[in-house]
Amino acid sequence: MNDSRNRVFLTGLWLIVTLELRQRVRGVSWYVLLGVFMLLVGIATFLLWLATSAWLSGGGGVFSTIIFLVLLLGTLVSPALSGNAVNGDRDAGILATTQVTLISTGQLVLGKFLAAWITALAFLAAALPFLIFAVVLGEVSGGTIAVSVLVLAAELGVIAAVGVGLSGILTRPLFSIVLTYLVVAALSLGTLIAFALLGAATQQQATSVNYQVVSSTYDEQTGKQSDIVCSTAQTSTYNVPRFDSYWWILAANPYVVVADAAPGSFDDGGNPTDLFGQIAVGVRSAQAPPELYQEYNGCDDAAKGYSDQAFSDGPTLQETYDGAVPSWFIGLAMHLLLGAGALAWAWRRTRTPATKLPVGSRIA
Amino acid sequence: MSFMTVSDSAARTPSGIAVSGVSRAFGSVFALLDATLTVPAGSVTALIGPNGSGKTTLLLMLATLLTPSTGTIRINGHDPVTEPERVRAIMGWMPDTLGSWPSLSARAALQTTGRMYRMTREQAAVRADELIALTDLDNFADRPSRVLSRGQKQRLSLARALVHSPGVLLLDEPASGLDPAARASLRQLLRRLAGDGTAILVSSHVLAELDEMADAAVFLADGRTASPEQVAAAGASARAWRIRSLDEAALERALAAAGVVGALVQVLGVDQLGTLVRVENEASAAALLHNLVLRGVPVCDFGPAVGNLEHTFLDLTRETGHGIAPNDSEATK
Repeated sequence: MNDSRNRVFLTGLWLIVTLELRQRVRGVSWYVLLGVFMLLVGIATFLLWLATSAWLSGGGGVFSTIIFLVLLLGTLVSPALSGNAVNGDRDAGILATTQVTLISTGQLVLGKFLAAWITALAFLAAALPFLIFAVVLGEVSGGTIAVSVLVLAAELGVIAAVGVGLSGILTRPLFSIVLTYLVVAALSLGTLIAFALLGAATQQQATSVNYQVVSSTYDEQTGKQSDIVCSTAQTSTYNVPRFDSYWWILAANPYVVVADAAPGSFDDGGNPTDLFGQIAVGVRSAQAPPELYQEYNGCDDAAKGYSDQAFSDGPTLQETYDGAVPSWFIGLAMHLLLGAGALAWAWRRTRTPATKLPVGSRIA
Repeated sequence: MSFMTVSDSAARTPSGIAVSGVSRAFGSVFALLDATLTVPAGSVTALIGPNGSGKTTLLLMLATLLTPSTGTIRINGHDPVTEPERVRAIMGWMPDTLGSWPSLSARAALQTTGRMYRMTREQAAVRADELIALTDLDNFADRPSRVLSRGQKQRLSLARALVHSPGVLLLDEPASGLDPAARASLRQLLRRLAGDGTAILVSSHVLAELDEMADAAVFLADGRTASPEQVAAAGASARAWRIRSLDEAALERALAAAGVVGALVQVLGVDQLGTLVRVENEASAAALLHNLVLRGVPVCDFGPAVGNLEHTFLDLTRETGHGIAPNDSEATK
């Protein structure tokens, strides 16, 4: 019994998905759009191949950049295709005629979401030849391929869910499309701006204390200094931004989520070999608090003959990366919650028989 | 009958629509104040009222899309609020807005609707073909519905409401945009469906049209349905009749003669379609005709100048200026 109910649900769900795809993804213009996208990615692939000397260094840079291009285009196109899924149907008078059938509101909202997601995934499919080319160039690990593609697909799903959700929550299609774009912009750019502004606004005073050699006797034979007269402590204070308090804001950025999720890939010198690694290192290094008290004793160094270079070698980028907390699952969880919340709200608003109607809306 | 092949057995439970004391408020504005009506299975009931009287609101509630603020609705015994799915399985609704999936052909739209009622692909295809023949859409069935004319969309909308052979049919302005031939076939179709036991509620402004197909009428004004007494009183009130004779001069002479026109009849005048008289009731109309024929006037046309429904409708709305219930016309303005 339960099994047949599930089948009925899935049949109806798939009916809505196919109906939606036939409605929205129709005709020549859609294929022209995909063609233009493929052309752009093709050009980008060629240029990246040149820029990264991919025939020597492998396809990591090409692969990661194509993934970001798909994310960029998916998030730019998806709101336009999904942001009027529900309220556009209401305007066209075809929402209510579906709701009086045995299609449930859950099937309707979920079906529209799946259709919007599939539409966005078409961009990933169109980029597939170039991704394969990048993999063929070598140096792209299976883990990077699997994780980045899966997380990218999830992020595209989140945007589709937000678009369909807002179209069910808001009455006017134009408004819901614009708001979906604003959500995309807030996540992609707003997080960067918020991070930079908050970090820069939260300054803290740091102190550095210096001791310097005032006079000494230099023995040319041993190369050592003696009779070192040291200066008194020279204290200087300055302000440092506290980015480490706000690094979690960057975790909400979809590009950071994709980059941080991919397993880091580094060369022998500890430098990242792809765009994912570079972004992830940047974000993770923001976790480290700045040194608020620094002391430099030039006299000690002089006495030791500058033998140990204590201050020259910092940690490598790989060490920074490995020493910090990965944040992508927090960001991804936030996004999934956002998408699911939008869909759930849309479901509530679209349920019939309706008790409340949004102002100025006609149910048919 | 061919269009019954995929019907749900539950759709034939003969009880129809029962609405009792239903009101609906949108915020502080009442769209419907007090609607009470029944539509028995196997009958066509007309829902008549001026623009903004709450007809569409009432139909939306019957169609499981809106909850009533107060009152109860039963569709074949099921409550649209608590059991919407059971109601949807047996109810067909033709909205006043003509929406259809723009890029789908009429045939594909009907097949899709059938699938939404959980038909198999094959059942839905067979049913779509039946409905295309039934609503005379053969020539347009494979064109995208965005190129259909208003009348064709109207027929598609009707066909969609019939996909699952519903036992209760709700039609919101089904005749608007239809040509006379299509109107005639709509009338025949509805009578035939009623003959098969379907309960049909039709809202329309074309009152003469409804006169010919409705078994009963529900009058709705200012959010209230008129009581049967009000309707009976309005229907029985004085009204204009039109008389046409092959010999207009003879008719004129006869009407002027003493004893032909009774106390309850008043000659109103002559227009290009004939002579108008005002008669108090049907008995005096019969007496007048009797006298005219006795006088040898060749009467070829003798009947009410306006249809029954129109007469009742105008009379009911005239009674209070706008509303039906005199004591509430102030409050609802």
